[in-house]
Amino acid sequence: MSRFFNALRDGVGFDVLLVGAALLFLLALAGAPLLYNVLMSFQQVDMFTLGVLFRPFVGFDNYVAVVRQPEFWLVTRNTLIFVFGSMTGQFVLGFALALFFAQKFPGAATIRGLFLVSWVMPGLVVGAIWSWILAGDFGVLNVILKSLGIIQANVFWKSDPNFSIWAVIIANIWLGLAFNMLLLSVGLAAIPRDLYEAAELDGANAFQRFWTITLPMMRSTIGAVLSLGLIGTLQQFDLFPALTEGGPANTSNVAGYWSWQLSFQLYDFAKGATVSVMMFVLVLFASIVYVRSTRHEVRG
Amino acid sequence: MTAQIELRNIDKYYGSFHALKGVRLTIEKGTFVALVGPSGCGKSTLLRSIAGLETITSGDIAIAGQNMTGVPPRRRDVAMVFQSYALYPHMTVEENLTYSLRLHGVGKAEARLKAGEVAATIGLSQLLGRYPRQLSGGQRQRVAMGRAIIRNPKAFLFDEPLSNLDAALRVQMRKEIRALHDRLGATSVYVTHDQIEAMTMADWVVVMRDGVIEQQGRPLDLYDKPVNRFVAGFIGSPAMNFLPATVTPDGQGLTLDGYGADRIPLASPAAPGQAVIAGMRPEHLRMAQGPASFHLEVGTIESTGSATYLASADGALQLVQSERADLRPGDRVGLEIDPARIHLFDPETSARI
Repeated sequence: MSRFFNALRDGVGFDVLLVGAALLFLLALAGAPLLYNVLMSFQQVDMFTLGVLFRPFVGFDNYVAVVRQPEFWLVTRNTLIFVFGSMTGQFVLGFALALFFAQKFPGAATIRGLFLVSWVMPGLVVGAIWSWILAGDFGVLNVILKSLGIIQANVFWKSDPNFSIWAVIIANIWLGLAFNMLLLSVGLAAIPRDLYEAAELDGANAFQRFWTITLPMMRSTIGAVLSLGLIGTLQQFDLFPALTEGGPANTSNVAGYWSWQLSFQLYDFAKGATVSVMMFVLVLFASIVYVRSTRHEVRG
Repeated sequence: MTAQIELRNIDKYYGSFHALKGVRLTIEKGTFVALVGPSGCGKSTLLRSIAGLETITSGDIAIAGQNMTGVPPRRRDVAMVFQSYALYPHMTVEENLTYSLRLHGVGKAEARLKAGEVAATIGLSQLLGRYPRQLSGGQRQRVAMGRAIIRNPKAFLFDEPLSNLDAALRVQMRKEIRALHDRLGATSVYVTHDQIEAMTMADWVVVMRDGVIEQQGRPLDLYDKPVNRFVAGFIGSPAMNFLPATVTPDGQGLTLDGYGADRIPLASPAAPGQAVIAGMRPEHLRMAQGPASFHLEVGTIESTGSATYLASADGALQLVQSERADLRPGDRVGLEIDPARIHLFDPETSARI
């Protein structure tokens, strides 16, 4: 017994304990639900089998049923628009802001810090704020656009089928902007100043320095930001109940929110699980890209 | 000889800190100029001002006869070798070398040819395909040099390029840089805090302190005739001894304060009774064979085989000599010095008398 405690105190025992705790946590709270989810997607889940673990096995029936849902292709299309639009907006604007705050001017660090407010705020709160900004009748965005002469009549962002997905995208860009900016700022700060000076003396103008020094040196950071952006965007949930609830008529519905609707509004747990497994495969792919991009660090 | 770089009354402020104070310097075409001084003296700031990486507060910079004040670095046509080498880590050696050519629209084949030529001059031909992280310190140093050479610029600027190398390599690179300079007929400005580097490499040495040029001249002139106590102490290793002394009533000699009544003869007469600082280089002091100029109580003795370093018991005086000495701490030895090699400085102003 004392040997056990000695090993715990002085030997590898303590390390094993720490690793074990983390592993247990991961298995219980991430691994098990994940497996259960996959399992459910191959089962027939209804009122009578809800309480048991081993339900009737139905093969790929749930997957076929999900794809045959009339809204499936609309949701897929929306998900792609949402992911692509959000990531592009977050990345481009985030990069622009990161470059802006990398310039030395008084208060640069403080103002950059303030930008993090959007990242710190809960998604539901952000959704509520944007719900007000985007409101059709009295929203401030309409007022601004009208006063600039860009639109003539009010745009009903949240309830117009042509704009509803973009309403969520705009809010999501704002929500993820600061996170992108922060990661990209760190990447920018890691590029030695004298590389830019050397490039300047070699005759590179600002644009050439960006293309030949900044971008290649940021390769791994950009890979990480894009992968994390994909994961974060696919997981985005809070904004949907706060803004559009996926409507009108699913025109702003995406896979993640649809999966929740199937499970917890229609109580069709099998289909909900199936949609989330499909998403999981996508996220897994993004994670592999992310891990690989961090492994290929190009630093002198 | 024409001036390749001309600095007229350069002033530079960082906020309220006055980094360069009215610096005037003319660098002739084809010369190797060393800017030397302790850290914080403004030598790097001056170099970076020539490159255009720092904006000067006032004054004029002309390169090859053209006023370059306020012109961005990329239009100045000067090349710089950085202390950190600043190689582009994501480019191969060849890409590093040809970067400036590619920016200026030189064709691939021609750039490749030139990279080959430059690589041959600096001994990098085998390494063109490697990345900087796969190179040793000395090889990186060469790539940095090659990147400067390939452009055939109006001037080469070196910012402490050897300080990241080990001692043996530093001595070798010192010679190579100087040989390269001669072969290219280049104009070089070389910043270093190491006065040995400055003395051995440069045609013209500029000693700076606190943003001011204290003295400039040929290396041996600085050694033989330092204008003040600072330059005297900075040039030469080990550093010059400074001892408070008084000129004898006849004006023909000195007595060192605290070293008894021994009289040291002077080469030229000084004001009788004047208080001075006597500067004597450790390598100019000799152990007296006959009557001594003054006496010293031995504190420490260090022998390297080729030279013997003696320090006085109070630590104020050091001397180095090539003969071995059979001495023990506490011994009293008589010393002499060639009167022409005594430097006198004003205790108030530190200026040479």
